[in-house]
Amino acid sequence: MPKILVVDDEEHIRLLYSEELKEAGYEVITAESGYKLLEKIEEGKPDLVILDIKMVDYNGLDILQDIRNRFYDLPVILSTAYDTFKEDMKSIAADFYVVKSFDLTELKKKIAMALEARLPG
Amino acid sequence: MAFYEENPGEIVRADVLVGIPTANEVESIARTTAQVDEGLSEYFPDMQCAIINCDNHSSDGTREAFFSAPGKTPRLYISTEPGVGGKGRNVRNFFEKARQLDPKALIIIEADIKNISPVWIRNLGAPILEGAGFVCPLYGRHKYEATLTGSIIYPLVRCLYGRRVRQANVGEYGFSPKLLDTYLNPPLWNEAIESLGVDIWMANIALTSRLPIVQAYMGAPKVHRLKDRDVHLDVLFHEVVGTIFDLMQVYKDFWEQVKWSKPTALYGTDLQEVETPLPVDINTKRLHEMFVEGFDKYYGLWEQVYGPIVAPKLQEIRSMGFQHFSFPTQTWLTIVFESAAAYRRMSPVARKNFLDGLLPLYLGKVLSYVKKTERMSLQQAEEYIENECMMFEENKSYIVKAWTKGEGG
Repeated sequence: MPKILVVDDEEHIRLLYSEELKEAGYEVITAESGYKLLEKIEEGKPDLVILDIKMVDYNGLDILQDIRNRFYDLPVILSTAYDTFKEDMKSIAADFYVVKSFDLTELKKKIAMALEARLPG
Repeated sequence: MAFYEENPGEIVRADVLVGIPTANEVESIARTTAQVDEGLSEYFPDMQCAIINCDNHSSDGTREAFFSAPGKTPRLYISTEPGVGGKGRNVRNFFEKARQLDPKALIIIEADIKNISPVWIRNLGAPILEGAGFVCPLYGRHKYEATLTGSIIYPLVRCLYGRRVRQANVGEYGFSPKLLDTYLNPPLWNEAIESLGVDIWMANIALTSRLPIVQAYMGAPKVHRLKDRDVHLDVLFHEVVGTIFDLMQVYKDFWEQVKWSKPTALYGTDLQEVETPLPVDINTKRLHEMFVEGFDKYYGLWEQVYGPIVAPKLQEIRSMGFQHFSFPTQTWLTIVFESAAAYRRMSPVARKNFLDGLLPLYLGKVLSYVKKTERMSLQQAEEYIENECMMFEENKSYIVKAWTKGEGG
């Protein structure tokens, strides 16, 4: 069962994603901020990270750079209420960019694609 | 090996090695060399660095200008025989010399960039020293710049090799010495690669190397000497598209296994000053004329190669006229996929004529892109291209099927 780490400072989003993604057959772990996130990834070994951009103390786009530098091919989906961050060059290091919605159809589709993505070796 | 070498500083090793390929670049080599020197001194002060001018035996004083440019970094000059041209040959000479110098990071920079700055050297070199295998720059580009990349190179190479490298055919790269073995004993080397095909050849090989790829944000557009665009396009199209198609044969076992695509790491996002690219004028009427001329000349060939589904669609596109001109992405990706498969089965002579026939279709696709994106911002146009890339990826099974068509088993 693929394990997904949801990083979001809004509790209701963590709950919503957890419930829906568990129902969709994923194991879900959560983090409420970017604090020591790389260590959490190291320990929790998620197969994919859903990362909020605008958190109280952290900028998801900066965290994304750190994740990419340390876990080169770990799939990361940026999940945000704003579509304007797409214009930030840093967002291209994400596998996908999804605007938050209570309907998780798009997010689930992108999760499936990111987990299916395959390169030889 | 290079036909001629001049190594006044008797350089025997270098940690960071920069190659500048040239052919009669007396006007620009001094500035480029000085900027490279500054970049090496500022960002790699504790490392042994060297700059190599890999030249096509220029007769205009390029060598002298290279040696007399300001800066302290040791320099070395190598050249092909007189009368032997091609960027690819210069790049190969660079690889050979590099192997002797045992570098930790290699960089190639074109000589004719007017706005190169020292930080570009950091952006191309530092990720390699931090463990990347290949660094490809990400320049600020206007939506109508490098349409060959947006229409064919990016969607096709991304869909085939599974890595999202937006500007794979730029001419400047950083790379690890781990790639030198493959570059020096390549699975494919031909006339196109000896010339303009060498850039995409380098990137394509890196994409199959399994080494981490990084895109380096340069914070500016690449401003280089204006070349005769129309004359240049024909040659560039043949050599670049032909090289991608040739390499598809070599790496079929690789790309067949790829599903969807993955991003790269990004470097250089700390740059404070960001330049906006200048607008690019595009002559849409001329694009339409060239598509129509190509239709009249090559429709028979297109019918034969692209079959009964695509050919009538092309007639439909032709009949729409300039005002309503549109080239559906689904038709375009079918053409690109079928072209790659058909090219594989052709003789070298037939391939040339075939690529001549693909060129007007590409120009039609560019026209359609320009019309669709004329009111879009750079970001919106970029999203349009991203969506097209997704369509290429969604239809990946088509190319696998087209490729093996008629093989049996």
